[in-house]
Amino acid sequence: MNPQLQLLVALQDMEGMIKESETQGTELEGMGFSQDGLENLRAARDELVAKVDPRHISWYRRLTERFGHAVVPVVSNLCTGCFANIPSQFVSKSNANKVQRCESCGRILYWP
Amino acid sequence: MDISEVLKHTSPQLFLPNIQATDKNSALTELVKGLIDGTEINNADNIMQMLQSRENLGSTAVGPGIAFPHGRTLSVQRLTILIGRCPEGVDFDSEDGDPTHLFFVLIAPPQDSGHQYIKSLATLIDRVQDADLRDALMAAEDYDAFCAAMKGDE
Repeated sequence: MNPQLQLLVALQDMEGMIKESETQGTELEGMGFSQDGLENLRAARDELVAKVDPRHISWYRRLTERFGHAVVPVVSNLCTGCFANIPSQFVSKSNANKVQRCESCGRILYWP
Repeated sequence: MDISEVLKHTSPQLFLPNIQATDKNSALTELVKGLIDGTEINNADNIMQMLQSRENLGSTAVGPGIAFPHGRTLSVQRLTILIGRCPEGVDFDSEDGDPTHLFFVLIAPPQDSGHQYIKSLATLIDRVQDADLRDALMAAEDYDAFCAAMKGDE
């Protein structure tokens, strides 16, 4: 996988975890799961952001603001953000190592 | 959510009865490898990073001798639960300092409608509070016996 895409996937997962801790932390603490490391997790998120190409971060931030999730999986040749068909050339070997975006909605595509 | 509903998210391929890990990181590595080997999930690095981040938030070893590594990631399409057993026990940074012998790993997609994995976590944590059950789970000969013990009289 493209290393930049790998970072974007990790970033989105980490931001989801931070959001979950912020919104459901009380429920999780009730189950015994400490949320004490939230500040460390935010710092790790900032370190991760610093590793990503600024152009990709710019896309990521705009898309997250607009759609909630910037990176979406492609399932059965469909963008799971907008359900547009993803042309077969997107999955060809020549494109497999690029950060690619859906031509319809602009979301960053990830083949799980 | 009842325990039978939770166990629908695991399978015999996701049962690791004899983990050999000797520390937290090697335990996570072995558990992630089990997930990759037992499913069509293929992004081991991403899942490992997510689980390590979760542990940095706070150890998931919250039960007596039991840990529940968990989180959401783009790398899975549905809630997936892996069960791991470590007869020797491993230091997983539990609050009581005791070694961890049993692992329930819950991995969910970001869009997990109805917070299925939180409910599954709650069900599992509640179920394993019974010390006799924990002994039965450690002694279960195979996946079917493990699940039968989990279901109990349900």
